[in-house]
Amino acid sequence: MQWLYLYFPNLQLDSLLHQQAYNQACVLVDKNEVVQTNSEARQLGIKIGTGLGQAALLSAQLKVIAYEPKQEQRLLAQLAQRLYQTSATLYLDPPQGLLLQTSDMLRLYEGLAPYWQQLQQPLMERGLHYHYASAHSPLAAQVLARAGNDRLLTHQGEATGLLHQLPIHSAGLNYKLCLQLERLGLNTLGQAQALPRSALGQRLGQTLVTYLQQLEDSSAPSRPRYQPPEHFRQRLELLYEIEHSTALRFPLKRLLSDLEAFLAPRQLQAAGLILGLEYREHTSERVYIGCSDGEYRAESWLGLSMLRLEQLQLQAPIIAISLKTKGQMPWAPLSAQLFEPLGGKLTAGQLISRLQNKLGDHAVQQVYLRDDHRPERSFYQGVPQSSYQAHQATTYLRPSLLFTLPQALNHKPDQQWCILSGPERIQSGWWDNVSICRDYFIARNPTGQVCWLFRTPREEWFLHGYFS
Amino acid sequence: MALLQLEKERLVWRARQLTGPDHRRQSSFYPTLDAHLQGGWPQTGLVELAYGSAGIGELRLLFPLLAQAESRLQVWINPPAELNGQALAQHGIDLSQTLLIRCQNPQQALWSAEQSLNSGCCSHLILWAPGLTAPQAKRLQVSAKGNQALMFWLHPQAEPSTSALPISARLSLAPLATGLRLKIHKYQGQWPQSFCQVDMHELWPSLAIPTHLPTHHGPAPSSNIAALPFKPR
Repeated sequence: MQWLYLYFPNLQLDSLLHQQAYNQACVLVDKNEVVQTNSEARQLGIKIGTGLGQAALLSAQLKVIAYEPKQEQRLLAQLAQRLYQTSATLYLDPPQGLLLQTSDMLRLYEGLAPYWQQLQQPLMERGLHYHYASAHSPLAAQVLARAGNDRLLTHQGEATGLLHQLPIHSAGLNYKLCLQLERLGLNTLGQAQALPRSALGQRLGQTLVTYLQQLEDSSAPSRPRYQPPEHFRQRLELLYEIEHSTALRFPLKRLLSDLEAFLAPRQLQAAGLILGLEYREHTSERVYIGCSDGEYRAESWLGLSMLRLEQLQLQAPIIAISLKTKGQMPWAPLSAQLFEPLGGKLTAGQLISRLQNKLGDHAVQQVYLRDDHRPERSFYQGVPQSSYQAHQATTYLRPSLLFTLPQALNHKPDQQWCILSGPERIQSGWWDNVSICRDYFIARNPTGQVCWLFRTPREEWFLHGYFS
Repeated sequence: MALLQLEKERLVWRARQLTGPDHRRQSSFYPTLDAHLQGGWPQTGLVELAYGSAGIGELRLLFPLLAQAESRLQVWINPPAELNGQALAQHGIDLSQTLLIRCQNPQQALWSAEQSLNSGCCSHLILWAPGLTAPQAKRLQVSAKGNQALMFWLHPQAEPSTSALPISARLSLAPLATGLRLKIHKYQGQWPQSFCQVDMHELWPSLAIPTHLPTHHGPAPSSNIAALPFKPR
């Protein structure tokens, strides 16, 4: 079996810098020690392992960011998710490595070169620095990649030859073991491999023997292979704090294009997105962006999101954003009408989603009927639903415009008014404490308005609606 | 575009050739109105209705048209009171295709109207708005025309806007005993006509004043009330 190992020495820093054009020296620091550097920092002489104090002396404008193992692990998983589209069998090797089984994929891609080209593309898109090596065993590939070999070897002999010449201190063994081997005069891996295993085991411990065996063992690692998640969930750290909601457009665009890359190959679409905004003071806010018809394209989602974000007042500067889907469903093409000459640009669902995102969920409504004799309860307004339950309307004539609160008339209708019909008595609701007892009249007032009036038992007159 | 083509699409018309109904009109289902408007409402475009005071029958004028609509959305924006679903259903309007939008400010109302028209999935749009400027009216008119939609703009002034808005029609409504009296201030493709009486008596007999009664004094309400006393509780 053939294996390929990808090693990302600057995973967190590269991902952070890629989204924002930043051309100053920048380092990641863990426990006062530099762990990742960008090229500007390296030019100034800052190396991995340099102390923070020394690094600060080398550059006054140095940007220092804390190293977060969790974040890096998340990035590695995201990368694996992307590479899974190219390569079927892959293993995570946290914090910075990915192991890919190549032999099965070569038949599909007809050779190592086209396969490697496919693999490189997402890595370049993300602006990642990487080292790679292919070899006959997982460990050999890992050791060669970490040593910065950057070669695709097809024959086992080539890999073995390179391993033989590899200095012992870059073989990935622990420091103590390296020291012991060097004291024995074994400076390359080949020298150690040449010695009898049992003697080595007795003198230097079982670890080394296992290591040497694994270098030749081409079988798959015992840990489970990578399984892509079923739901999209991604988080993006921002290098700058964002204070205006409209400035979220660009980082959001990146997340949404990842969303599209996640949904499209799976033939899925999302009915809603939950956008998490993480504020500087460790509080966060969730914004729901809906699209009832479902959508997977980044462009459409961006338009909808910006409508919602324009309405938003940020409480504090934002330091990170996250995105997850709510309600994934199989993608179904909307059947366009063949003989429709107009060619609708949006479906009703898309229009409703767009309006809702701009105006708020409660501004866009549909009218539903209900079986109730009380006029104000005989219908209600609710959020539009894709399936509308038809309902039988009452046979009594009702006004088309109805006041939520009936308006009191100053005096009872006089000779100037013309009663057209009535009274129609509505006495109902004694069971739920909103009982009404009214005599309704249809009357036309001197201005010519056809009004719906009612009279209460206490001889008070109210205007309840217009027959517009 | 050749002159003949323009004439065919009635973008240019001769004053002496006002013959026959235009095929690009849709019936309003009121025969007198159809006769005055040469076939009825325009197929697409923006129509201004100045109705003076609510409740004179301004929506009843539109209900027969809306009840015939195809399976596209009908959008109502900012009605002056609750839109009674029971009444709409009674008049044959498909509530599943009815969308009600309420906006806080007039800008949002216009935005919603434009979005709805441009979506292509809206056949009729009824907007209540106090006033439109010429550029706003033009945008809505273009959106409606380009997306095969008919938009009605209703406002409670007695007279339509004085400025010459670039829209399809401008009408003002006044109540009559049996219906409405329409004044046609502007109608694209024909001369403005003076008045038109729309009789709603046949569609809504109970909302018209009975002809045998004089308009100004109806029966005193007290006579009815005496016949139906409330039960003492």
